[in-house]
Amino acid sequence: MSHSERTANTAGDARRTPSSGPLLASELTLLFRRRRTQALLLALAAIPVMIAVVVRVSSTVPPGRGPAFLDRITQNGLFVGVTALIVAVPLFLPLTIGVVAGDTIAGEAGHGTLRYLLVAPAGRVRLLLVKYVGAVAFCIAAPLAVALAGAGIGAALFPVGPVTLLSGDVVEPGEAFSRMLLIAAYQTVSLLGLSAIGLFLSTLTDVPVGAMAATIVLSVASQVLDQLPQLEWLHPWLFSHYWFGFADLLRQPIGWESFTSNAMLQGGYIALFGALAYGRFVSKDVLS
Amino acid sequence: MTSKWLRWMPAAAVPAVIAAGVLAGSVPASARDPLPDKTPAQVLAMIGQHSTKALSGTLEQTSELVLPDVPQIGPSAGPGTGSIAELLTGPHSARVFVDGPANVRIQVMDRLAERDAVRQGNELWLYNSKDNTATHVTLPDKAAGSKPPATRMPGSVLTPEELAARMLAKIDSTTEVTVGDDVEVAGRAAYSLKLTPRSDGTLVESVAIAVDGEKGLPLSVEVRARGQAEPAFRAAFTSLKLEAPDAGLFNFTPPPGATIKELVLPGRPHAAKVPGKHHGPGKHYGTGQPPGAQRNSPSVTGSGWDSIVSFPARTAAPNTGAPNAGVPSIDNLLTDPLLRQATVTVPGGRAISTSLLNVLLTDDGRVFAGSVPLERLQAAAAAR
Repeated sequence: MSHSERTANTAGDARRTPSSGPLLASELTLLFRRRRTQALLLALAAIPVMIAVVVRVSSTVPPGRGPAFLDRITQNGLFVGVTALIVAVPLFLPLTIGVVAGDTIAGEAGHGTLRYLLVAPAGRVRLLLVKYVGAVAFCIAAPLAVALAGAGIGAALFPVGPVTLLSGDVVEPGEAFSRMLLIAAYQTVSLLGLSAIGLFLSTLTDVPVGAMAATIVLSVASQVLDQLPQLEWLHPWLFSHYWFGFADLLRQPIGWESFTSNAMLQGGYIALFGALAYGRFVSKDVLS
Repeated sequence: MTSKWLRWMPAAAVPAVIAAGVLAGSVPASARDPLPDKTPAQVLAMIGQHSTKALSGTLEQTSELVLPDVPQIGPSAGPGTGSIAELLTGPHSARVFVDGPANVRIQVMDRLAERDAVRQGNELWLYNSKDNTATHVTLPDKAAGSKPPATRMPGSVLTPEELAARMLAKIDSTTEVTVGDDVEVAGRAAYSLKLTPRSDGTLVESVAIAVDGEKGLPLSVEVRARGQAEPAFRAAFTSLKLEAPDAGLFNFTPPPGATIKELVLPGRPHAAKVPGKHHGPGKHYGTGQPPGAQRNSPSVTGSGWDSIVSFPARTAAPNTGAPNAGVPSIDNLLTDPLLRQATVTVPGGRAISTSLLNVLLTDDGRVFAGSVPLERLQAAAAAR
């Protein structure tokens, strides 16, 4: 689907009905039909496949080496998804989110389609919202792709049985699977703040690559700052601070503290960068 | 122009709202009714009287002990000294579940890992998720039936208040005990009991204990060292629920695939196996001690906060057939390579210096430890 075709669609739809539904539907179809989005999701799904195949063909992993749970995979295939999610958190997931969120506004501007979108009475605020919802949809899809691909390949290559949690307690595969989905949900929440930052950066420029790179660089910078003990006072304010907190979902009983702190932190980032994006985008002169 | 500025208003308002929210959250709930005034003796009595049997909560522990740098402990290092040193450095958070004295579970929450200690009756399980090892210990009967102090001394007419008053009188010569302003710990109003050493010769500046205003349960302990702005050690509940946790939590079975170790408690090697064979309590207590134990017994010099504990040089006492081979004893500790790295050479031997405790290992094998400046340890060592 080309941009001009889509622009015509949305413009027509929006004129008929003032609701954002058609605009949102068109945005989502465009996002997930795009080759690039599909490639990103495929690359994410490749992580667990890679891990599973390597573990399958190699000898046993000594406990305590490599990423967490790597040694458990041979006993239980469900750990492939968890291990892959752990591996994907610091770089792969922020990378893909950076690409999608950085592209939101700047992509349209770079293609010269932004002013056509704004010709429709959809309004800039609604366009911003729709673009953000699109990025959120990708935030849901990305960790889910890793988790589901991991569970699938794990079940195919290894036995599936009761899962040992961090606390040493054992849960049935069904509950283990639901906990893995919870971890994916946790990571979706974790990435919402980064998406808002990407959306704001995307309103600053007409060059999508610039916004993407800046978003990714920020995510890495935040994680580096989180490692410096001298900046301890800053740590709870970094959007990446709770990214690894999903381990609490693998304890018995589940610890929800990090989930709620993470959600509140990400909410703050959404509010701040959403407001910044609004301020910038509404007062911006759209020339392309 | 004005409308353009108006559009940036939300971006300015959001940080303001967040800052206001954070400030409101950090201000202590002064609107709460202040706790009734109590004397230090009454607060001490509350601790003695508290009957909280069941709770579940989260403990945060931070320590700024200024420990010597110890290299990261790999998985090859045993569960002994390494993990203890690790627990003393940096922040830790642990969940605590208690239901009576015999049902306890502590979960030390590490990054993507967890260390568990589960006690149910006489059974104690230690589990480490990093290397998937479980250690089983059978506790001696005595520990399981630990009775409240009241039943331990029959015929005693001392109420907890009187007991507290006596205790207070005893420590008063060395320590000033005061009750400070009310504090809030884990959302509960608490008395702040402050112990300040009267002596200048100790590294400890003060010890503060937060005592729950309603239940008398200690909620936090904070130890401050002289010349250090941050507390040297602090352990406090960040959340606390005073209800019995799920009973299933105390029922621990090692997960399949875990390495299981059986640990026999040192000192009472036969207690669990042949309970009928011991002849009397006096003799029984002596059996498990290694032969050199009496000669190795520590002596204490000084009093109160200035006390120095000294261990004489180890006379060659071969621990033949000692059942506690895996347990760190003083002797093991002295030859521990980790410890050698942690010490610095000082006149008269090697020393480990932290902000709360100094340990001097003299060249002739004696050990001096105390919460006092290093010079005093050296003086004590030279005096003998």
